[in-house]
Amino acid sequence: MTPNTPASAIEITGLTKDFSLNLRGVKLRAVENLTLTVPQGEVFGLLGPNGSGKSTTIKIILGLLEPTVGECKVFGVPSGRVDSRLNVGYLPEAPYFYRYLSGEELVRFYARICGVPKKVLKDRVREVIDWVGLTGASHRRVGTYSKGMLQRIGLAQALVHDPRLIILDEPTAGVDPVGSAEISELILKLKKQGKTVLITSHLLAQIEDICDRVAILDKGKLIVEGAVNDLVGLRDRQSLIVDSLPPAELDELRGWLAARGHVLNAVEQPRTRLDQLFLSKVSRPKKEGDSQ
Amino acid sequence: MNTAFPFPLSGRSVPFSLGRLGIVAGNTFLEAVRQKLFNFLLLLAVALVASAQLFREFNFGSSELKFISDFGFGAMVFFGSTLTIAATAQLFFSEIENRTALTILAKPIWRTEFIFGKFLGVFAVVGVFCALTTILLLGLLYHRETALMTANPEAFEAGRIIHYGDLVLMGVLQWLKFGVLAAFTLLIASFSNTNLYTVVMGFFVLVICHLQYLARDAYGSVASLPLRLLVQLLGYIFPNFQVFNLADQIGIGVGIDAAVFLRVAGYALIYIAVIGALAVYSFRNREI
Repeated sequence: MTPNTPASAIEITGLTKDFSLNLRGVKLRAVENLTLTVPQGEVFGLLGPNGSGKSTTIKIILGLLEPTVGECKVFGVPSGRVDSRLNVGYLPEAPYFYRYLSGEELVRFYARICGVPKKVLKDRVREVIDWVGLTGASHRRVGTYSKGMLQRIGLAQALVHDPRLIILDEPTAGVDPVGSAEISELILKLKKQGKTVLITSHLLAQIEDICDRVAILDKGKLIVEGAVNDLVGLRDRQSLIVDSLPPAELDELRGWLAARGHVLNAVEQPRTRLDQLFLSKVSRPKKEGDSQ
Repeated sequence: MNTAFPFPLSGRSVPFSLGRLGIVAGNTFLEAVRQKLFNFLLLLAVALVASAQLFREFNFGSSELKFISDFGFGAMVFFGSTLTIAATAQLFFSEIENRTALTILAKPIWRTEFIFGKFLGVFAVVGVFCALTTILLLGLLYHRETALMTANPEAFEAGRIIHYGDLVLMGVLQWLKFGVLAAFTLLIASFSNTNLYTVVMGFFVLVICHLQYLARDAYGSVASLPLRLLVQLLGYIFPNFQVFNLADQIGIGVGIDAAVFLRVAGYALIYIAVIGALAVYSFRNREI
């Protein structure tokens, strides 16, 4: 990080956004006095029920909406300025791209918009398509892609100019568990490359697995924010996983703990997660694209 | 994926770019020509222009050629206006409704580039339409004039009577008129919420622009001063599309005055620039 580079990828201060509902001046407050910082190099989850203000916040970060009050900066640049988007890649919810273009044409189109130089354009487009695993389908029209493939080509267009901040709005909406797991893997790879990722999702298990920090919005207000481990970990509890104990030895252990002033709160059989079971049983499609 | 990417984007300023504008225009053009509506209207226009031969007046004179010319340009105006309004509204709202506008405007691009790119894409589509129908019309006229010259050489003693170059200029003027109409439609789309509203208002503007000279003639001399000023003001807001109709002056028999052509072309370009700027201003304040 250079001395001029801010430590935060996104810095939102006192942000309020009102939408006018009619000409009589009735307004809907979508976001209220939001102050939030997304540190560089982290995967940050923005959570909340429908209508909580997540998408509005993202649109303000992207400069698509103007805040009513407050400010939003991306790498230190006010988000309303065009140059604030030089280092931002964005995958919208349920992306619908130009159906008449092939995957490669689509990514090339966005790369040219972003100013990727001609001398590296072709290689960069192919590289990023390969990275999301769509090389074999890159010459097919986007209109023939499955939802999982659309998400991946959307990720490719978001990454083609090598942004430092990637914003993913519901990247796994409507995607099957295999596709969802692949997107999670890609996000973790991005984190390893030092990218900052801001993600919204209703799949809280996925968020818990991949996010360093989360913020929860409700009715436009920030109600919880912090590191995932701090928020979901029970600090006064520990779990020990051992081989199955016979009842007599379990009683002995319970007595041993009681003698030291501790209580054995629960004896449970550990379970694998349903999504992990699913992924271990289902064959994954080849990297060239989803099986149709 | 390479982590050391070979071009630095951070810290750059983002000036207005004709290159990005051209990319948006090219994509808009590509989308339009792959739509069925464009092909359908083009086919209809071609069929109608070609059918002018079937409805001609059988007196083997210049009026037959005049009829073919008028019929051809009439078809061009009717279908070209429909294509201009429908394509502008559709190509704009497909970006909004399909949320592709989000992915584009989330990139380092000015909204001015986006709007003018959309305009130029539509303008190019209409240009292709005008070029194809004009070429077809010229071909028909040339073919028929040649046949008439063979059959009635005495009527063509002075040589060909059709000024083909002037007919090309007439096609160019229609193209510019459609450009004004596309700019107006884009201005309406920039604040409208629906495609249908934009199309309906676009046709209203078309009718107003074609008929506004009647209002000016009717009110110009008899009405009260405020009303006269209001009509004059509306006359400045809405261009007079009748000035683009030089079919009676050019093409057959008499030639076109270059000064008139340049004045009408300038009139169209000024309207395109001003209305386009208003569309940009309106779209910059639009919440996507």
